[in-house]
Amino acid sequence: MKQAGAWWSSWLPSRRPDRVRWALAIVLLLAAALLPPASLYLESQGLIESARFEIVLGVTALILALWAVSYNLMLGYAGMVSFAHAAYYGVGAYTVAILLQRYQISYFAALALAPVVAAVVGIVTGFVALRAVRLYFSLLTLAISQLLYSLAEGWYGVTGGDNGINGITAPDQLTDYPTLYYFVAAVVGLSLLVMFVLTRSPFGAALKAVRENRERARSVGINVKAYELAVYTIAALFAGLAGALFPLVQPSVVPSMLFWTENATPVVVALLGGIGSFLGPALGAFVYTGLDNSLSRDFPYQLDVLLGAIVLGVVLLVPGGFASAPDLIAQLRRRIVGGEATPVEAETRGEAIRMIDVTRAVEAHAIPTEHIERGRVLLKLEGLSRSFGGLRAVESVDLEIHEGDRHAIIGPNGAGKSTLFNLITGRMRPSAGHVWFDGRDITGRPPHVIAKAGIGRAFQITMIFPRLTVLQNLQYAMLAHRGRTVQPWGLADRIYRDEATELLDAVGLGPYAETPAGQLSHGDQRAIELAISLALGSRMILLDEPTAGMSAFETRKAMELVRRIATERNLTLLFCEHDMSVVFGTARTVTVMYQGRVLTQGTPEQIRSDPEVQAVYLGELDLDEQQAAPA
Amino acid sequence: MDPGKFLLFATGGLADAAYLFIVAAGLSLVFGALRVINMAHGSLYMVAALVSVIVANQLGASIGFLPALLAAVLVAASIGAVIEVTVLKRVYGHEHLVQLLATYAIALIIGGAARLIFGPNYRTTAAPVQGSLSILGYSYSLYAFVTIVAAILIGAAMYGLLFRTRLGRNIRAAVSDPELLNASGVNVTLLYTTVFVIGAGLAGLGGVIVAPSQAVDPTIGDSVLVLAFAISVIGGLGSIIGSAVGALMVGEVISFGLINPTTNSFALAFVFIVMTVVLTVRPWGLFGRPEA
Repeated sequence: MKQAGAWWSSWLPSRRPDRVRWALAIVLLLAAALLPPASLYLESQGLIESARFEIVLGVTALILALWAVSYNLMLGYAGMVSFAHAAYYGVGAYTVAILLQRYQISYFAALALAPVVAAVVGIVTGFVALRAVRLYFSLLTLAISQLLYSLAEGWYGVTGGDNGINGITAPDQLTDYPTLYYFVAAVVGLSLLVMFVLTRSPFGAALKAVRENRERARSVGINVKAYELAVYTIAALFAGLAGALFPLVQPSVVPSMLFWTENATPVVVALLGGIGSFLGPALGAFVYTGLDNSLSRDFPYQLDVLLGAIVLGVVLLVPGGFASAPDLIAQLRRRIVGGEATPVEAETRGEAIRMIDVTRAVEAHAIPTEHIERGRVLLKLEGLSRSFGGLRAVESVDLEIHEGDRHAIIGPNGAGKSTLFNLITGRMRPSAGHVWFDGRDITGRPPHVIAKAGIGRAFQITMIFPRLTVLQNLQYAMLAHRGRTVQPWGLADRIYRDEATELLDAVGLGPYAETPAGQLSHGDQRAIELAISLALGSRMILLDEPTAGMSAFETRKAMELVRRIATERNLTLLFCEHDMSVVFGTARTVTVMYQGRVLTQGTPEQIRSDPEVQAVYLGELDLDEQQAAPA
Repeated sequence: MDPGKFLLFATGGLADAAYLFIVAAGLSLVFGALRVINMAHGSLYMVAALVSVIVANQLGASIGFLPALLAAVLVAASIGAVIEVTVLKRVYGHEHLVQLLATYAIALIIGGAARLIFGPNYRTTAAPVQGSLSILGYSYSLYAFVTIVAAILIGAAMYGLLFRTRLGRNIRAAVSDPELLNASGVNVTLLYTTVFVIGAGLAGLGGVIVAPSQAVDPTIGDSVLVLAFAISVIGGLGSIIGSAVGALMVGEVISFGLINPTTNSFALAFVFIVMTVVLTVRPWGLFGRPEA
């Protein structure tokens, strides 16, 4: 993406919507910067009643902007709905109020301390809330919010109980209104800048990956909970800072600031401005403050109805997508004008395998049987077992897979293939036995650790980050895998760009680099997965029914790609597949599983002529037909 | 502690548990069958409470209670039907995030509309059953017992509905195996509306029953919603028995939290500590099942 021209040209956003967005941001910032002189001028012209009033309103909007943008770090970037954000705002406000009233320390010291206190409360309570996921996480934040509220209301000795703390005054240095405004603007502006850098950094990339697909994020090596806790704490910190600015415009801090319904404000503001963009909620803050000011005096309840209607409208018009819409307006336009059809979800097919077809298929697709070099053992399973209640899904499986092998696992439905894969990749813990990878014991380790060790996985149902571009899918996976997502600065989209582009070209997806991954065809999405596995530097790739849901043509293309990439990059493949033409066309070694155990192992030729294997499959065929009959 | 005082607080907790159970059971039923957390559940409770107070005061508390009850439950159920048909139908199967925000928006709308229509001030009404009785030296209002009996009857009626009727069988199927239900020829669209209307009606019923024993204003739904969440989460979302056990725990925790003057301002905090502990140890609640 190198552009010729002046040295700064590479810093200009290249896409038109980006340019519009940047222009809008600059206009917004200028308008914010000019508010006090503009108000004073309008007052001198007699066009507004009181410049002071307008400036204080501006300060209120700035504080709200900080609060809402910090909320959107969770909502828009990480996909978390918290009902405790008002509580951290309240904690910040109370910290300042208490320090000022009881200890008479300087406001500026209190301002520095308050976000720290909020962050500490945030990390402790967030740790509890993040024991649960999604809905239950939201409900736990609700409980935490009410817990903090009850404390604020009940702890008379410290918080003044339901009277709150009154009579807080702004420090002498900030009594002049334009000074107050610019002070708050500086604090808010600096905070927004920090958060902005954060969202574009590799750290922000990890958050987006989590939002898009938790399971996938985990498998590329992201410790999902740790990132959620980090963003939760950072959001609490900035909410605390916003809360600490609050006493500059309001003399009282009361417990109802912490009540869970107060979270309506940042939610509405974020949705109003658009949660898909960074500055959206800040813009929303000014709109909201304006609306609130002009309506709340005469029509306070109509305002609630209006705000509710706005939230409802946004949620219903942009269903599902709005939470992660890269561009809310584009989403809306697509919705109204009509847009691309969403790709059809893959369904796993449980069809029986027909051995009859196999011979013909093998003849058609057979590759010359290469001599398998019995090299190093890369993956070794020892007595691996897993039972669910009484059912033994996998029972003492011993298996050795050599480096460079292309190893297929076949077997009728319920043979334990998927469970075996889950045990290897760490999505399930074995009841007994061991998994060794490259001489290292990885038994029962979490998925992200196993992914880092070098085992990639392609899933039965396609696992990509649907609303990130194809290129970002790869770049973010690389960032996560190479441990760079802890870095909270730098531009994630510029790191590993060339390397990712090269990989995309290798799998034939070069032309789609900037397309959202979810818009690609099913087969192409699998190719993205394969590229992600390559990007992760996996030495071994597990493919769980790689061609399920693909047409015959797609299947052929996909498997050609897999074979080519595996040969070029000396990858070890372990795959399970129902389609025998795929199995015999790709595998060098085949293991047959039946009822959780390894039945036999051999070259494709040996397996094909094994009477026991045929019996297993014929048995399954009969069973299938019996089941099919009554339905 | 003397037994009379203990009994007093235990009964107080039971009376709280009674109305909370009715509200939480509705919330839990809706979640179980529809997989939607209804943030507007408290608003329906609030609207019904307001309507019942107004109707009862118009007609006089002694004869007005039954018409008030009918009117209020009808209003809550009708609003519920409108919500289900116009909004919820569009968000089934979406992320929880979308559902939370959509129903939250409805709560905002109903809250604003209620203030607009009824005004922000609180209202009171007399209990339909007056009088009190004295046990071990402490005085009890008769209406508290009426509340408890009503909750037991409603619990029994729900049990009957769920386990003795065809509708109940379908609802249980929706809770345990929605896909099978789809395949079995039941009119799922209608079933979902019905379940949501029942849930809304239960929210309304809770509001009507609690109205004579407290001041009613358009904000009462906000705090009851959080308690109803606490209850259904403790008991396990989707489980009616769980709601009963959760309501008992919450009711008694609040009641006995008030007994000690040094802790009484934290009575509510205890509830959320219990909820946090339960969710941390058993995220799907005492009687719930882990979500797939």
